[in-house]
Amino acid sequence: MTNAPDRYERFVLPEGVSKVTRIKDTRITNAATFEVQREDHTLGNLIRMQLHRDPEVLFAGYKAPHPLEYKINFKVQARDTTNPETVFRRAIDAVDTEIADLRKAFTEELARPRDQGNFY
Amino acid sequence: MVYGRDCDVCDGDTQCEHCSVEFTLDVRCEGDSTLDVTTFDLQTSDETVEPADVAAARKAMEEDEKLLKGILIVKLRKNQEVKLRCLARKGIGKDHAKWNPAATAVFQFEPEIIINQQLMETLTEEQKQEWIDSSPTKVFDIDRATRQVQVVNAEAYAYDEEVIKKAEAMGFPGLVTISAREDSFIFTVEATGALKPETIVLNALDVLRMKLDGVRNGLTMALMEDPQMMNYQMNGG
Repeated sequence: MTNAPDRYERFVLPEGVSKVTRIKDTRITNAATFEVQREDHTLGNLIRMQLHRDPEVLFAGYKAPHPLEYKINFKVQARDTTNPETVFRRAIDAVDTEIADLRKAFTEELARPRDQGNFY
Repeated sequence: MVYGRDCDVCDGDTQCEHCSVEFTLDVRCEGDSTLDVTTFDLQTSDETVEPADVAAARKAMEEDEKLLKGILIVKLRKNQEVKLRCLARKGIGKDHAKWNPAATAVFQFEPEIIINQQLMETLTEEQKQEWIDSSPTKVFDIDRATRQVQVVNAEAYAYDEEVIKKAEAMGFPGLVTISAREDSFIFTVEATGALKPETIVLNALDVLRMKLDGVRNGLTMALMEDPQMMNYQMNGG
């Protein structure tokens, strides 16, 4: 009776759809839009904040265009010393490394005997 | 165990042993008193999978604590019986909240609390206590030996600024300065009981990396299909 989309639509990439599409910006030099399918603010905000830390990035932003379109768009403009693809990949790698480091530190801390665990 | 939609064996039917665990319940009340049917009566088809409260009870028994009662499913009177088959499937919280193992996940900035001890020493013992009691949460206390006001639990501070207002009202502005450290977080994760909080955090980090991996691979594929990718390669991406 309803036309609500299936819940899994939010995170299952349909067959024949590519995860990332690059759209070159025709008006701004060295800028591109990356359309990422089936991702949300979890990755959007994470990657955007990392792009902002990059001195070779002139502009970086993301948006979730519509709550029922399960994708996010990144708009990236890079300095002329590089290109949007490179900085975008660099941001992904940097976040990945940071999470890996955090995971390692967390595992090490777990292995250490707890000094105060009387929270519960 | 795999997610039902990733299961190749039963083709999305989610009924096979690769993507589901079957529980059976078969209880009959023979006695005169009512019989409580609980989660302890569920028979699992896979020894490694059991209800979370059954796992907790087993652990408690190993530690020689009192036996916990299972979660009540139904009560039976004499000659009544219940027979049913349950399927446990794996899923994620984004699909349905029933699969979410986290009750609360919050972060706060670590507060940096500096007491002006010189000024504090001009207060009487009663004034000190009055000021300490003005905080809704127990953040400060008087050290028994030195009689100095000290921070006992900075984490409990709720950024309510009650102690700052109180200090001003008492005529001692600048008694304490509190700032949020923006490079240090206190992350609080509370689990529902299905998973341990530390497991949830580790899983979350793994999922984030998996997502990043997906985007990275997608980006590589998108650029390979693109004839314009020459400049990308030359710049060594």
